[in-house]
Amino acid sequence: MLRAGGVLLTMQPLRRLLALALAAAVAAPAAARIRVVGSTTVSPVVAAAARILREERGLQIVVDTLGGSSGGIAALGDGRAEVAMSSRPVLPSDRERYPGVRFREVEIGRDAVALAVSRDVWEGGVRAISRDQARAVYEGRVANWRELGGPDRRIVFFNKEPGRGTWEVFAHWLYGDSDLAPLVSLPEVGSNEEARNKTRSTPGSITQLSVAWVDGRAIAALAIVGDNGQLVRPSGPSLASGAYPLARSLLLVTDGEPAAETARLIDFLVGVRGQRLVAAHGYLPLSSGSAASP
Amino acid sequence: MTGVALRRPAGPRFEPTRWAAWAFSALAAGTLLAMAVLFAVQSLPAWRHEGLGYLTGTTWFYRGELFGALPMIYGTVVVAAIALVLATPVALGAALFTGEFLGGRRRLWIKIPVELLAGVPSVVYGLLGLLLLREWIYRLLEPWDPLSGDTLLTGGVLLAVMILPTVMTLADDALRGVPASQRKAARGLGLTATEVAWRVSLPAARPGLVAAILLGLGRALGETIAVFLVIGRQDNRWPEPLWSLAPVTGAGQTLTTKLGGSETWIAYGDPLHWGAMVGLAVILLALVLSLSLAGGSLALAGRKGA
Repeated sequence: MLRAGGVLLTMQPLRRLLALALAAAVAAPAAARIRVVGSTTVSPVVAAAARILREERGLQIVVDTLGGSSGGIAALGDGRAEVAMSSRPVLPSDRERYPGVRFREVEIGRDAVALAVSRDVWEGGVRAISRDQARAVYEGRVANWRELGGPDRRIVFFNKEPGRGTWEVFAHWLYGDSDLAPLVSLPEVGSNEEARNKTRSTPGSITQLSVAWVDGRAIAALAIVGDNGQLVRPSGPSLASGAYPLARSLLLVTDGEPAAETARLIDFLVGVRGQRLVAAHGYLPLSSGSAASP
Repeated sequence: MTGVALRRPAGPRFEPTRWAAWAFSALAAGTLLAMAVLFAVQSLPAWRHEGLGYLTGTTWFYRGELFGALPMIYGTVVVAAIALVLATPVALGAALFTGEFLGGRRRLWIKIPVELLAGVPSVVYGLLGLLLLREWIYRLLEPWDPLSGDTLLTGGVLLAVMILPTVMTLADDALRGVPASQRKAARGLGLTATEVAWRVSLPAARPGLVAAILLGLGRALGETIAVFLVIGRQDNRWPEPLWSLAPVTGAGQTLTTKLGGSETWIAYGDPLHWGAMVGLAVILLALVLSLSLAGGSLALAGRKGA
């Protein structure tokens, strides 16, 4: 490999280009490519599995996060992907839009959506939030952290884009149905990386973020104040028992029964090693939650 | 008899190059036309639903079937204007330096790196903006208590950096296009180098300079991913009153950042919502096309005048 690189560097530019083109043509996949598109919450686990399967079985798996969960389901519906990654269930509206597609969901783990705040808010004394408070903040009726027992600072709500699984779970929690979410004008964030980085670097900010992305240092996850006044933290036990309200399934969606190679990817992820990957990325593996959750 | 074989056949000759050139030109023009027609047709439901309100409405709420694109047009225009105001003086100054005061090969030492900058992928600029510019703008605006570093101003400053190389190198070309004999004649009349630059080169190159600025503006209008990362993507930000600075120091949305967001995926399949999204593309296409045409005709006029 090293020697080949050396030869490439000493070649004339045009020849080098030709050689590269030739190498690319030779390296073109012999095996079928599996295109996996969707949620940035699910993608780190699938990408890790794809790397392992590429090395061990030579499977060509391309993982892309264009458009989040809804983007993935649209890609599956249009035949631009073999597998959709989704952090929200397939909705009736999806089935309506793609009547010819037999959506088949496989759960590979569970995750919680945290209401994550920047460090200054956490250290200023805001540690928990109730549903009513969250709704007031989301709708802009509460605009300063002082009203939630925190520092005197304006609230910056980085709203996850609609269509993202994270946002769907949040809106479902606040309004029962994401279609009932009112018109708000908030700065929006797309991927989990963007939400995390902007929350980390903006004083007074809060965002909806998958717990796996909350580091507990520069950003922290608020506990939820339950209806009976007790605090529910987005962590293992309350997640497994189903007590944490903003929990959700991480799904792989296919059109009917998956083809042999695609099935191999799914089997790997629900298997022992795949579940270990799920846990390693900060999510809840199937075995721990399935006993308690319906 | 052998001479006959060498003689050209009478009648029209088959010229593959000419045919290919025609075919490719037709393909390019046809693609553009087909795209424009397709977009216009697909956006019809939105125009029918909103009427002119599509252009003048200030509320966009797809779950309530409200589609007003004005805040996004405002965002696009403001961001591009900021970029132009910041980039033009620097770009023209740099072009004057390379085109007028640095002769021959030395001019390339500046021009080539600048042209390389023009080729840097926009996502790289976007990430730099995310890492550096947001913080800087946040601190700069601190006296006005900004919510975050995601503002229209941030987008504008980032775009200024991005269009600077384009405007500079095109302006330099325009200045080099002014015949050397004119400069020599002016110097012969006793003008200093500075006076030659101001009185001779700049006026003579003016159409080319305007074209350079308009092409930069076109890039600013169409840029998506870099702006996407730093503008905040906040819907329905319409300034009250119109000339207040609040929307400039706050987050906003442009036509391109709206199209680049996940709403495009939600809209797909719903004719009205999809039409509204495609309509944004039509507005953008109209803006950029008219600018390109203006830039092109000015450049043409400049060439005729020279």
